[in-house]
Amino acid sequence: MSSSLLHPPSHLPPATASRHSQQAPGILENSPGAISTSILQSMLSTSETQELWTVYENLMLSCLRTGDDDSAHQCLGRLVNRFGNDNERIMALKGLLKEATATDNASLNLVLQEYEQILQENPPNLPIAKRRAALLRSMGRIPEAVNALNSLLDMSPTDAEAWAELADLYLAQGLYSQAIFAQEEVLVLQPNAWNIHARLGEMLLMAAKTSDASKRLTEALKRFCRSVELCDNYLRGYYGLKLTVQQLLSEPSPKASKQTESEEWAIPASSTLQKLDEAATEKLAEIVRRNSAGEKDWQGYAEAEIEAARELLKSRSTATIR
Amino acid sequence: MAQLPAQTIHRDPQLFYWILFPITVVMVLTGILRHYASVLMATQPKRFDQKSIKEQRSMVHGVATRSNFHVLSAPSFRARRDYLTNAYESGAFLKDPDRRGQPPANPMTDPNAMDGMMGMMKNNMAMMIPNTLIMSWINAFFSGFVIIKLPFPITVKFKSMLQAGVMTKEMDPRWMSSISWYFLCIFGLQSVFNFILGSDNAASQMAQQMGAMGPQAGPQMFGPGVDPDKQFKTEAENLAVVEHYSVLDDVEDRLLESIKSK
Repeated sequence: MSSSLLHPPSHLPPATASRHSQQAPGILENSPGAISTSILQSMLSTSETQELWTVYENLMLSCLRTGDDDSAHQCLGRLVNRFGNDNERIMALKGLLKEATATDNASLNLVLQEYEQILQENPPNLPIAKRRAALLRSMGRIPEAVNALNSLLDMSPTDAEAWAELADLYLAQGLYSQAIFAQEEVLVLQPNAWNIHARLGEMLLMAAKTSDASKRLTEALKRFCRSVELCDNYLRGYYGLKLTVQQLLSEPSPKASKQTESEEWAIPASSTLQKLDEAATEKLAEIVRRNSAGEKDWQGYAEAEIEAARELLKSRSTATIR
Repeated sequence: MAQLPAQTIHRDPQLFYWILFPITVVMVLTGILRHYASVLMATQPKRFDQKSIKEQRSMVHGVATRSNFHVLSAPSFRARRDYLTNAYESGAFLKDPDRRGQPPANPMTDPNAMDGMMGMMKNNMAMMIPNTLIMSWINAFFSGFVIIKLPFPITVKFKSMLQAGVMTKEMDPRWMSSISWYFLCIFGLQSVFNFILGSDNAASQMAQQMGAMGPQAGPQMFGPGVDPDKQFKTEAENLAVVEHYSVLDDVEDRLLESIKSK
């Protein structure tokens, strides 16, 4: 059993997830379906580990992704055997399976009603509340999904996952300040998450197109800087950094007038911006070069991200030639 | 000074079969019994209702905001601080806002608090009763003679521990009495239980003592008898005195510095 099964499949590249799903019947056959509670058998057979159940959960998610519903059913059956029907996480997994096997909107509505009934009986059931929000979103009922998340967060404001989902929803609707607020909440709960810093930078970069350009660009710049400070070779961070610097450089900088407010960050001097631009270009070029050369420690970047970085570098070099 | 002749005590070999072995077996069996007893007696973790979850998590949220304020820019931190202090002071997050200002209920009359205490008591009882019983059993039947000689020399200090129940001044401390064997079993069977019952068993008292010493984790942040309103007020004050700075303040200079130094 590979250790990558211990990670939730949404963190894995699709190829790995589909490989897991193909191996699913074999894994199911080889691992114990249930752990006996009697002393004698527990002395003879392998003892129960937490990993086993994590593997089942992740395997189930992988199988659902690739459409292997039979194996998914088996995984779920074993989990239900162990933890019972009333476990909140199991309830959410069961709902997920129903969602995945639903064929039309009517059956999805049925699942939704089921969720609502569960939540009425037991409002603090967080896994189900999250599933409900996700289902509403995938059914296209965005405002309801936002409401669901908001009521969830009102009860449990320390749920970083929910804040991130809310930020994403707001962003999809173009409500930039709300999205930024929610993303900042994620950062408050996970202060050292470099990907969240970069994501917030991306949001600020997008938001800068609508209003408050210089202020938001400056903050975006700083967010990207922080993310690459936390994670050395973070491609998205450098990519965003380069984009932001270019925008800041191309913009006629409104000097001095805005810098009187001590609260807000001043736009860094253009010499600093130049240096940042150089650094980002250099790093991106290095990442692209070493990744395509197949160096061992430089794999693992998403193909699309590498391609985008290559494009960005190319567009910039043609611009300088011109 | 002349070397003292090694003490030899002639022991009946039957001692091994009738004392050493039974004590060990009884100790192992009690451990297993204790494990299953505490599994049976374990209370289901209590479910909290919506309002108490909200109360607790809002508190945690405030603490998180206070300790991670540096990831925020000054305006966004100020907005959060204003919101949180206001809500804390007006009691918006309280489970029952009507009871503000009243003294906390007596924990003895609060059924929720009693549950926790009962759980602790059950655990302690499961520990104490078998130990007392076995110790008195050993004392009643096997006290007053030594049963084994340790294969390594030890200092006189161990005499009182290893030869409990045998009042012989001159005897080499390597000789052990049955009660000492019992103590050795208590502390030494940990790995045996790990092997039989798996690593997170309830048989070992060491683990339980460690657990008791650790911080009270979990959602039970407001223990019985603590007034959440007061905690919120304290937290509001803590938030109000935060002097804001941000990690983003000079981040681009730091970054360039670190790239240059490489």
